[in-house]
Amino acid sequence: MEPIIEVKNLVKVFHSRGRKITAVNDVSFDVFKGEIFGMIGPNGAGKSTTFSMLTTLIKPTSGSIKVSGFNVDKQDDKIRPLIGIVPQKLSLYPLLTARENLELMGNLYNVPKKEMEEKIDYYLKLVGLEASADRFTGGFSGGMKQRLSVIAAVLHDPEILFWDEPSTGLDPQTRNVIWKLARKFNDEGKTLIFTTHYMEEADNLCDRVAVMDSGKLVALDNPEILKEKTGSTNLEEVFVRFTGEEVRD
Amino acid sequence: MTIKTELMDSLIVAKKEFKILFRKKALIIPLVLFPIIMIVFFGYGMGGTVKEAPILIVNDDTGRASSSLVQEIGSFTEKYNGDPMFSVTYTKDMSQSEAESKINDGMYKGVLIIPPEYSESATKNESTTLTLLTDSSDTTTSSIIVNYMRQLLSKTGSVSLNIPNIYGNLEYLDFLIPGVIALTVFMGSVATTGSAIAGEKEDGTLVRMLMTPISKRSVILGKTIYQLILQLGRAVILILAAYFLLGFNMNGSWLLISLVLIVFTLGGVGMGIVMSSRVEDMESFFQLNMLVTMPSMFVTGVFFPLSSVPDWMRYIAYCLPLTYAIDAMRIIMIKGQGLNAISTDLIILSLFAIVTFTAGVRLFRREA
Repeated sequence: MEPIIEVKNLVKVFHSRGRKITAVNDVSFDVFKGEIFGMIGPNGAGKSTTFSMLTTLIKPTSGSIKVSGFNVDKQDDKIRPLIGIVPQKLSLYPLLTARENLELMGNLYNVPKKEMEEKIDYYLKLVGLEASADRFTGGFSGGMKQRLSVIAAVLHDPEILFWDEPSTGLDPQTRNVIWKLARKFNDEGKTLIFTTHYMEEADNLCDRVAVMDSGKLVALDNPEILKEKTGSTNLEEVFVRFTGEEVRD
Repeated sequence: MTIKTELMDSLIVAKKEFKILFRKKALIIPLVLFPIIMIVFFGYGMGGTVKEAPILIVNDDTGRASSSLVQEIGSFTEKYNGDPMFSVTYTKDMSQSEAESKINDGMYKGVLIIPPEYSESATKNESTTLTLLTDSSDTTTSSIIVNYMRQLLSKTGSVSLNIPNIYGNLEYLDFLIPGVIALTVFMGSVATTGSAIAGEKEDGTLVRMLMTPISKRSVILGKTIYQLILQLGRAVILILAAYFLLGFNMNGSWLLISLVLIVFTLGGVGMGIVMSSRVEDMESFFQLNMLVTMPSMFVTGVFFPLSSVPDWMRYIAYCLPLTYAIDAMRIIMIKGQGLNAISTDLIILSLFAIVTFTAGVRLFRREA
């Protein structure tokens, strides 16, 4: 299979109040074109930091990342148009309407106006927000905001989607919608990388799952194979097997 | 990325800023009303006193009467905080226009011209007229000089005082308004730029925007374009309100005012960016903002002439960019002078803009 993301010996060190924190410690893996790739791990495992480096938001301390053949360090402006990001923190302008938020994103990605308007109408309908299109997003529920964030990240038809904890804090109905969208976008040929704390979701959706702990990649394989290897009945057991029972800070 | 796409991107940002501003109804009203309220409240009934105001006496008379008059002014002992009120320089053979140009250059706050026939008329008890020129763009000092001279000459009976108005009939309001405009633009550009960025940091929208292909430069440029339009708009509203509500005299060129305000706004925007890069949320920004803008408000001579403050305060004022913006605005709006007269101010304000902007661009990081 053809790798679309190549991560080699990735390290990220933060310096905070004189302390040195190694958030990501010598991590290497590939993500293949067209797969759904899940990242799981306890809080502080380094998932979000890895995510930020993959999405060009922060620079690695050492090691290399190639996204679609471009180097994250030097060609980040080539990478950004190819990826669509749903950040962990819902980031919509509360005083813009749903449609205006989408238009702003479309404009920033230079989507042609006519194409953009068609897509906006299509996607708003797809996620059931067409009736709220002209309302300010400040009054939206968490679920509405998340649906809007997800479609804001696909207007420019990216090759790779990065979703950081897309289902955290949502009701089962909304989570269902989100995962239906994940399947739909994947069927359209997009590669999807996401993080989650819901083992069931990772189990059901992912072609492969990466388990991270304390900045290290501790396991990476198909969920079925991981269960088989560890003799577990579900991914939750796999997770505990690799990362232990201890509660993290 | 081409310059054209960067410009287009920055216009997208500027447009978004305006859209959001017009929806913040509770913000628009104080943005416009704040400076007007300030003028109205401070504009009435504020006075002050002076110390060591430089005045020039042009004595073309050689008689005894004039020398005793000159001596009396020179030895005037009324003290203000231990300092004499006037610092007097003497000369002769100077025309009125020459004297006016000395005031224009800011060398003297007042010039008293004693005509050659003064002593002779005084001994014959004939009436004579002395000419007193004052820098009426500094209304406080000017009125104190005028009052003092009137009192002094009332003792000598037959002498009358001719006081030509170099800059028209000015009141404290005319002195106050250019300063308030500069203050408004300064506080507005620093606070709205900084708080908007701090707010966008807090709600994550700034990071979200920087995840898209837009460059850091375009984001900053977009915010700057927005600020330039906003601050110039506020200045125009303020000048028009002062004209219609308070009968303010606008003597100078709108073009020069725009030039000064554009350069100054750039500095303010840069400063807002620098300050917002040091904080993580709006609340911290506002605390920092108080610390930075409050001294400017009270030290730089918005409300009183710098000539009337103690030395240490004046030295602080000279370190603050607002001082130079106020000076430039007064020179243009009251004295109606041109580019030459404000060149030093403009150079300092340009330096301020370059320094804060460079620092702002460096500190405004893509990473959250």
